Amino acid sequence: MKILSQTPPPSGEGSTSDRLRDCALLILGHGSTENPDSSQPSWDHAETIAKSGRFGSVHCAFWKEEPSFRQIWPMIEEREIYVVPNFISEGYFTRQVLPRELELTGHTTSRDGRTVHYCDPVGVHPAMTGLLIKRAKEILDSSVRPEDTSLIIVGHGTDLNTHSTEAITAQVEAIRASGEPFARVLDAYMEEPPYIADWRTLTDSPHVVVVPFFISDALHSYQDIPVLLGIETEPTAAASQREVFRRNPYRFGERTLFYSSAIGTDPSLAEVIVDQVRYFDEHYRS
Amino acid sequence: MTLAGELESLLPAGTSLVFGQLRLCRRDDGSFEACHLDDAEKRESLEPIPSAPALRELAKFDAAGEYRPLKTAPTLRGGWITRCDEAAEFLRRLDAIYPGVFATWIAYAAGRHHPTSLRRTLDRQTGMYRRAGTITDGMARRLIRELCHIGCLRTITWPIHDDDPVARATASPGTLPMICTEACTLAVNAARTLAKEARAAGD
Ligand code: SF4
Repeated sequence: MKILSQTPPPSGEGSTSDRLRDCALLILGHGSTENPDSSQPSWDHAETIAKSGRFGSVHCAFWKEEPSFRQIWPMIEEREIYVVPNFISEGYFTRQVLPRELELTGHTTSRDGRTVHYCDPVGVHPAMTGLLIKRAKEILDSSVRPEDTSLIIVGHGTDLNTHSTEAITAQVEAIRASGEPFARVLDAYMEEPPYIADWRTLTDSPHVVVVPFFISDALHSYQDIPVLLGIETEPTAAASQREVFRRNPYRFGERTLFYSSAIGTDPSLAEVIVDQVRYFDEHYRS
Repeated sequence: MTLAGELESLLPAGTSLVFGQLRLCRRDDGSFEACHLDDAEKRESLEPIPSAPALRELAKFDAAGEYRPLKTAPTLRGGWITRCDEAAEFLRRLDAIYPGVFATWIAYAAGRHHPTSLRRTLDRQTGMYRRAGTITDGMARRLIRELCHIGCLRTITWPIHDDDPVARATASPGTLPMICTEACTLAVNAARTLAKEARAAGD
């Protein structure tokens, strides 16, 4: 399944890719001082993109890990830099924290001999809808029909960033509109209604598949959501967390539940990051 | 000069440098090697780690398996060695262990990267850290003593206030300095905790 847009490359594509080889790509993540898995997807996607040789260099920087947003500029030697926030939605981080810490003043900032392009976050890319659908279908057993399955996209809710809730409802609408034959598609949250803990009453289909709309399998999707779903009795330790995803499906009487890892861990996110650069060039580059 | 070029010239063939808890060596054939300082005498028996991602994974946890949120904490584990021929690749590997520390030093030494005072860092915080800037200078000094001096190998180059005098860091022979040019996330978080405690004590 091709995830990204099928539109043909714009004319002059060859020269664009030549130009990008002289540019750096900087991926921004949240990171964590407590959870070792939080920054891993950003590093994994950076590694994939670096291997493709499309940029002069590929870097990551984090709010809560090193290199920090404040340490990153001396590490980058290219004069033109594309910055892509590996965040799930527009909001407090992408509009306030990241521009402030990186000293960005708009779509493009020129300072100290550098030109920095600030792209949209990965979570708002139109390909995310297709990725959520792909992820949901991948983890269902081949014997399970989507028509007998409800798809729940789960988010945090009630945090600083109300846009994250809007981002999830927008995805749910888009999946419904896509004509995919799921019995129902709905949103649910950890800390506001509809609560993910109520998944049994929110849905009535024989099967339910839950995909977390998070960037990484950090505390929420490894530890908190499995407890809310009833597939773990208490938060598991970091090292054993991957087990949560290997034990699918979980049986609850006549019903089965399939639980996915966070959407941000999907390897296709590397392409989404690169596509945010292409989108920037087409829409914001003056 | 590129960062890789700087590294090559600071580490000519046949020499070595101490960098935090690392011993960096340039062999006579020009290739590079890094291992833990404690392991410098037993290089032949160490586990070779061949890539930056593998080193990043190694640097994530201490010997007891605890997560290391601060990469310049004095808790890097040993038992490994990494070798490569190219300076650019060697720098990538050093950055996997001590992210950005080499580049920070080069930019600082060249006068291209300037320290940010603690007040400036704390005062621009928002959200859950918005009150971190309410700590007193005494609390700031306590933070430096208890977090930075005990838990981190970097030398602080930032003042508490913009116009406080601060000594310029220099490289002592045989070492690559590890400097801190701005309070890190752990320091901002510690300031928030101290501010909270002070408010609770005042209530
Ligand atoms: S503020 Fe600087 S010196 Fe202090 S712990 Fe953080 S990195 Fe180390």
